[in-house]
Amino acid sequence: MTAQLESSPVTSVSVELQHQIEQYLYQEARFLDERRFEEWLDLFSDDTYYWMPTRGVRYERELDKEFSRRDEVSHFDETKRGLEERVTRIRSGMAWAEEPPSRTRHMVHNVVIEPGDSPDELLVRCNILLYRGRLDRDVDIFVGCREDVLRQSDDADYGWLIANRSIYLDQTVILAKNMSIFF
Amino acid sequence: MDISDLVDVQQGTLDPRIYEDEEIYQQELRNIFARCWLFLAHDSQLPNRGDYVTTYMGEDPVLVVRKRDGSVGVFMNQCRHRGMRLCRADAGTAKSFSCSYHGWTYDLSGNLVGVPSEDDAYHDEINKEEWGAIKVAKVDSYKGFIFATWDAEAPSLLDYIGDFRFYFDAFADRTEAGTELIGGAHRWVFPANWKFAAEQFCSDMYHAPISHASAVLALTPDDQDVDEEVFPMDGTKGRQFSSELGHGTGFFVESGDVLANIVGQKPADWFQGGNPEAIGRLGEARAERMRGAHATLFPNFSFLPGINTLRIWHPKGPNEMEVWAWTVVDKEAPADVKEAQRVGTGRTFSVAGLFEQDDGENWSEIQRVLRGHIAKKSSFNVQMGLGHETYEDPDFPGKINRVYCEMAARGFYKRWADMASGQSWDELMASVQKAAEASL
Repeated sequence: MTAQLESSPVTSVSVELQHQIEQYLYQEARFLDERRFEEWLDLFSDDTYYWMPTRGVRYERELDKEFSRRDEVSHFDETKRGLEERVTRIRSGMAWAEEPPSRTRHMVHNVVIEPGDSPDELLVRCNILLYRGRLDRDVDIFVGCREDVLRQSDDADYGWLIANRSIYLDQTVILAKNMSIFF
Repeated sequence: MDISDLVDVQQGTLDPRIYEDEEIYQQELRNIFARCWLFLAHDSQLPNRGDYVTTYMGEDPVLVVRKRDGSVGVFMNQCRHRGMRLCRADAGTAKSFSCSYHGWTYDLSGNLVGVPSEDDAYHDEINKEEWGAIKVAKVDSYKGFIFATWDAEAPSLLDYIGDFRFYFDAFADRTEAGTELIGGAHRWVFPANWKFAAEQFCSDMYHAPISHASAVLALTPDDQDVDEEVFPMDGTKGRQFSSELGHGTGFFVESGDVLANIVGQKPADWFQGGNPEAIGRLGEARAERMRGAHATLFPNFSFLPGINTLRIWHPKGPNEMEVWAWTVVDKEAPADVKEAQRVGTGRTFSVAGLFEQDDGENWSEIQRVLRGHIAKKSSFNVQMGLGHETYEDPDFPGKINRVYCEMAARGFYKRWADMASGQSWDELMASVQKAAEASL
């Protein structure tokens, strides 16, 4: 692990590491937007867990219950195999929600890096804004935050693997007819 | 507009204006959603006194509350003073409900119990008993599923479920302990009329191999072929049931092992013979041989036995619906069965579900096409299996047909037209009686 941790009032990582991780996330976004799903899958570790909880409207005093828990239902609850099945579906030519394909643009912002649980891991938080255009006139906009565990790997083409991803959307009722895309 | 002219079940045709006309929609809200028994919540969502969920009956918001005496109260989620929504959370626990506009306060039964400055501003002259929240006419529950109706004239819940009960029990009554919901709900919007979804779950196995081809393919193991054993194309390998009350279901019998691929082998085994209590309660036809079922309890409550998704199609105008979906499990199912269902149901039937993603594409595009003048003038075809029903299936009672069929759609729309056009409950229930006699 060579993650250079430095201390400052707002960040514990070096400019170099910050730059490297941001570029990694941009590359990932590019794979998705260019529908290079197989290359995107290669960014995930074999033991990855990809999760998006559901969300409800709660009053302040019960705000700890607004997201579904890990042992409840979720929008995405995926292993690597599960993500591969989703790509298989899209590539089948019969996934009508993606045939004709959606047009996506993943914007990644506010990237904040912290030490992970183990020396070769980082906890990377970012905000995402995802625009989806479909057919002639369909538009969906998803905004939320992602919490990734990035694991350093000498074998990985891009130096890091996504070992865990949690996605928290800022919608409760999803205002889209489906989520046939990746976050 | 005379709605009964828009549905012709003898010829098997539908006038597509039933899906997009604002005037018809208002008649639906008045004559269907304000009169039918509507599913609201499952018992397991309200374990303790003061627990509540908010939901809708048609477009009317309601609070569903576990009252102090342990029973369930259902009343308009609206303050009687100036009409403000009383509670703006989906769920929670409360001692009372206070309006955020002027502070009128209601107890767990919806009675008005507090009015700010009652003495000074109202001179102690307001009759609080008269200004409680608007309550539904009847609340009842069946096997843990809580329903209510605004109509005091409506038949009992059991009579309303009627001959569909045999099939509902195959889902809801597999064990004495019954079912429970897993926490968390999928909620999303389809820009399409609610009937497309309700009818599809009632009657449409025919769309599955085409609409969901990609999901069937993706979930089929590499060493398995998608053949008759997994997803039969032979309609004689399944049954469809249609109730005169508008409910319907369809399923494969014995063949059709798609459930194992969708939610996993353990839930499939549990649902298809691995639960001895279910065989004792339901008999082997229902406990072992029904596979891959779809079902709708009229008007807008649907479920998939085995896959165990449960949903309400909330109407939001003629051109939009909002889906609220949950995962339900047998309370006494083994932990690994529940866990497989928690994951497997959500990843197949939900807004991001491998199967359900493609339904939205169909319904929203139909709705968009119906903006056209010629489109509105051209009938839809619901003729599949017309005239081939039987009442003599040895295992499955009631009006039965092959699984690839639109008999249950015709039943759904017949009931819909009769109700929406304003038939009384006496007329509606008399036609049920008449059909039952004719079938003997």
